[in-house]
Amino acid sequence: MISRRKFLFNSLGLAGATCMGSVFTSCTPSRNVTGMLTGPNQALGHRLHQEIRNAKVEQTLHHDVVIVGGGTSGLAAARYLSKSGTDFMLIELEQRTGGNAQSGSNEVSAYPLGAHYLPLPSLNDAELLHFLEESGAITGYQNGKPVYNDYYLCFDPKERLFIHGHWQDGLVPHSGVPSADLDQLHRFQSLMHEFKQAKGADGKDAFCIPLTACSVDPAFTALDKISFSEYLQQQTFTSEYLWWYVNYCCADDYGATADQVSAWAGIHYFASRKGIAHNAESDSVLTWPEGNGWLVNKLREQVKETIVCNSLVFRIESRGNKVAVLFIDGNAGVCTEVITDQVILATPQFINHRILSASFEHPLNAASFNYAPWMVANLTLTSNLETKRGEPLSWDNVIYGSKSLGYVYANHQTLGQRQQQQVITYYAPLLGANAKDSRTFANAQTYEQWYAWVTKDLKTAHRFIEDGMERMDVWVWGHGMICPIPDFIFGKARTNASASLRDKIHFAHSDCSGISIFEEAFHRGTQAAKKVLGYES
Amino acid sequence: MSKRLQFVLLISVFVVATCGLIYELVAGTLASYLLGDSVTQFSTIIGAYLFSMGIGSFLSKYFLNDLIRWFIRIEILVGLVGGFSSVILFLLFEQVSHFRIVLYLLVALTGILVGLEIPLLMRILKDRLEFSELVSKVFTFDYIGALLASVIFPLLLIPYLGIMRTSLFFGLINIAIAILVCVWLRKEINGARWLLPQAIISLVLLIAGFIFSEELLKFAEAQAYHDSVIYARSSPYQRIVVTKSGADVRLFLNGNLQFSSNDEYRYHEALVHPAMSMVKHPKRVLVMGGGDGLAVREILKYPEVETITLVDLDPAVTNLFNSNALLTDLNKNSLHSSKLTIINQDAFVWIKNHDTLYDVVIIDFPDPSNYSLGKLYTNTFYRELRHIVDPNGLAVIQSTSPYFARKSFWIIDETLRQVGFNTLPYHAYIPSFGEWGYVLASQTSQPDSLGLLPENLKYLSRSTFEQMTFFPPDMAHTESGYNSLNNQRLVQVFEQEWSNYQP
Ligand SMILES: Cc1cc2nc3c(=O)[nH]c(=O)nc-3n(C[C@H](O)[C@H](O)[C@H](O)COP(=O)(O)OP(=O)(O)OC[C@H]3O[C@@H](n4cnc5c(N)ncnc54)[C@H](O)[C@@H]3O)c2cc1C
Repeated sequence: MISRRKFLFNSLGLAGATCMGSVFTSCTPSRNVTGMLTGPNQALGHRLHQEIRNAKVEQTLHHDVVIVGGGTSGLAAARYLSKSGTDFMLIELEQRTGGNAQSGSNEVSAYPLGAHYLPLPSLNDAELLHFLEESGAITGYQNGKPVYNDYYLCFDPKERLFIHGHWQDGLVPHSGVPSADLDQLHRFQSLMHEFKQAKGADGKDAFCIPLTACSVDPAFTALDKISFSEYLQQQTFTSEYLWWYVNYCCADDYGATADQVSAWAGIHYFASRKGIAHNAESDSVLTWPEGNGWLVNKLREQVKETIVCNSLVFRIESRGNKVAVLFIDGNAGVCTEVITDQVILATPQFINHRILSASFEHPLNAASFNYAPWMVANLTLTSNLETKRGEPLSWDNVIYGSKSLGYVYANHQTLGQRQQQQVITYYAPLLGANAKDSRTFANAQTYEQWYAWVTKDLKTAHRFIEDGMERMDVWVWGHGMICPIPDFIFGKARTNASASLRDKIHFAHSDCSGISIFEEAFHRGTQAAKKVLGYES
Repeated sequence: MSKRLQFVLLISVFVVATCGLIYELVAGTLASYLLGDSVTQFSTIIGAYLFSMGIGSFLSKYFLNDLIRWFIRIEILVGLVGGFSSVILFLLFEQVSHFRIVLYLLVALTGILVGLEIPLLMRILKDRLEFSELVSKVFTFDYIGALLASVIFPLLLIPYLGIMRTSLFFGLINIAIAILVCVWLRKEINGARWLLPQAIISLVLLIAGFIFSEELLKFAEAQAYHDSVIYARSSPYQRIVVTKSGADVRLFLNGNLQFSSNDEYRYHEALVHPAMSMVKHPKRVLVMGGGDGLAVREILKYPEVETITLVDLDPAVTNLFNSNALLTDLNKNSLHSSKLTIINQDAFVWIKNHDTLYDVVIIDFPDPSNYSLGKLYTNTFYRELRHIVDPNGLAVIQSTSPYFARKSFWIIDETLRQVGFNTLPYHAYIPSFGEWGYVLASQTSQPDSLGLLPENLKYLSRSTFEQMTFFPPDMAHTESGYNSLNNQRLVQVFEQEWSNYQP
């Protein structure tokens, strides 16, 4: 009885081939990896420092509303305004909108340059659900539950972790982990589960998204006063596996460590996601080859006529009961002013502070606003990322013990059979004692240094990864993510800086939430638009 | 004495050269035979072999005394290593995880030994011949030997002896030379007593190998493919191997048997005719997978069919099956039919961008043995399928074995029903596969009994089909759940179920 008996031929042949391959290539002196080191438009951005403040206005425009910044929050504000038929203009510094959710592409695949997934939103995030329906990510409802587009729900296999020389499934360490540590991990997970169910005295969820809907019961907000590590120590967690996992999660969501973020923020990562779907588990995520680039492109489609790119807003002044927004375009250097009634600032606070004229008295305590730098590398490879050791190539692939977040497989959502060439996106938050030093470090690195950093890390799990590497593009985010340090989310500095000024200037950037995720950016943008329209004060 | 010595030694040069080249050809042929891609195999083997001969020549300077004895010893070793090389390679192909390493080690060893021979011989002869005479004679014999080998290897040896006996035969010749030298020059070599028995034992071993080569070959092939490989190639998508024994031709993709020509008619009649006969006037037919043209051959038995579209990922498969005479015999040249359009594209990508209707859709994908293939068995794929099956039409899906992978089979059925198809699962016994399953899927009515079948079917009939739709308890329906892109349940279950039957 042979019945489609599996022969080992292929794998044998391949094993031989890879082994030979590596012998040959290691003799090759020059490696043909191409790529470049880039990032957000620094040249134009740096002009903010220079004396363009006195540039001569050559053109004057009039709009009812101006949105500054075309990241998720600015585009969400634009989407909402356009529904009411409001006249507005959106000004974006980069060549393209998208901000931290921008994407790139090459002949092999589209890929993210920053944000790459959206967890299923909970049912109370109504506006976000509307948008997902408009864009085809939700195809309908059954029994009151959204039906998500199957092509956008992350395919299986989703996650694997390289630990003890082997790929296990899922990211919570379990393979080869001693039982005492497993006990701690379980205890931690059930604690987080309790927080997920918990409600404050005001009847609101203790942890949810958007943050503005969370309970302000001091029983929970007190957790914002201490760091996440302090909390974990109080709970007598000692397992190194647990600590690694927790730090991994803080790095994933905040680009920071458990020492740096508040306990409330740390718990929020585990306890706030309450998505519901008719056709997926509640912990599923939406993703695309280009990551959240897909979402921002959908947002952009709705409002593209109103967008001006490659233009730096450098000053916002009061003009009687109007406001003047001054910008300079990146090509010709022409300076334009827009006279408007209201402005939505969908730009980070450190920028807002620089461009708002002093007369607005924007109360910013800059020391409270910390932004973690990030490095994202996109690699085009023919290397074999399947190893015989454990789980197959998954969407998210993490290396235990590494300082990076591992890599996401950009072709994961493609429908066809596995191609030889593939693109992976490697994520590294630049953790350090303080964000400023990390930024200085990041800006000083050369392409070769990043190349060495990435390959060294990946070689832990894929020894021969360099053999099939064709391209590596490195992208550095100087101010990647706002860091929810203790007392930030429920503290004064954040609320003060994000309160509207004279009912004319409204703040929308995700740093007003203290948590840098798509949902918050979307929510903040929508709220700012509502304020403009007078729906909300 | 010295004349005779000279003669014996020059004959040795000739034989050594012939044998040397033969071993090289054997290794090259075997490598392309077993690994495919003959150009690469031959050129790397020849390179490695020549280089090893260089190493042998270099090492020859460390042999200082007793040159003739060394020469005999090496001759025996060459005979053993070279002679048994093909046997070793055949036997180890399935067992060793680094087959190529073994292959190149053997090539290197043979090369080094052969490389030692000529320099040693030249040094043995150097005092007996003028230098210019020596060089001229040795190299003349060397190259004539090479010519002889390269001519007889493809024309005589491979056709009449086969690869394994060829290498054993030349091993014998090497040993014979060793024995001849031993005997004829026994005065020149002192203490040759042990050499002769050694040579004779080796001779016996090789003769035994030669006699039992048929058995060895059978055993070796049973370890790997059962039959001789007549085509092996790796396309970007898969490894394609065709084997033949007697009249039986088999196709393997990634080592998985796709059909055996002895009983493929059962598989393809069962795949094609239920759906084709149940649909009233099947005009537009789509085949996905099935680049071997065997399903198309069956479809062409319905004259009312106007167009057949074949979507198969791999041009290497469709090209092979419309060019190789053995295979076009098998599929009756169906891939050249004027009704047929071949599209070499990924089925999922293709179906997502298509919405023309087909009366019958025949899906013959490889089993869901990995996550990429698993996508082709998801509710998302079947939802796309619903868009292209005519409301009065039918689709049929090869659905792995309901016996070996019972739950997997029922997952496929459940997944089809989950997206709104009415299904009729059935199974057929294919001797080379075992019990095999299919699912018929209809947009509207529940499919049940067969329509009018073409004449001269060898397996399928109305009464056969009645039995095929009956599932005995060991294959009966079992709760399974459906397969989706975001759970890929099928791949996991399939892997687990089949692992129980792996050898
Ligand atoms: C590496 C990385 C990975 C991430 N991964 C995820 C993820 O997977 N999921 C997730 O939900 N979130 C992720 N995020 C968080 C992401 O930042 C948010 O989801 C969201 O994209 C933030 O949008 P925003 O509009 O608040 O800010 P930004 O994206 O920062 O948008 C601000 C915009 O303002 C423009 N701008 C700045 N100054 C000026 C000026 N003077 N004039 C005109 N325009 C100006 C900028 O160019 C930019 O386009 C990630 C962030 C980073 C850095």
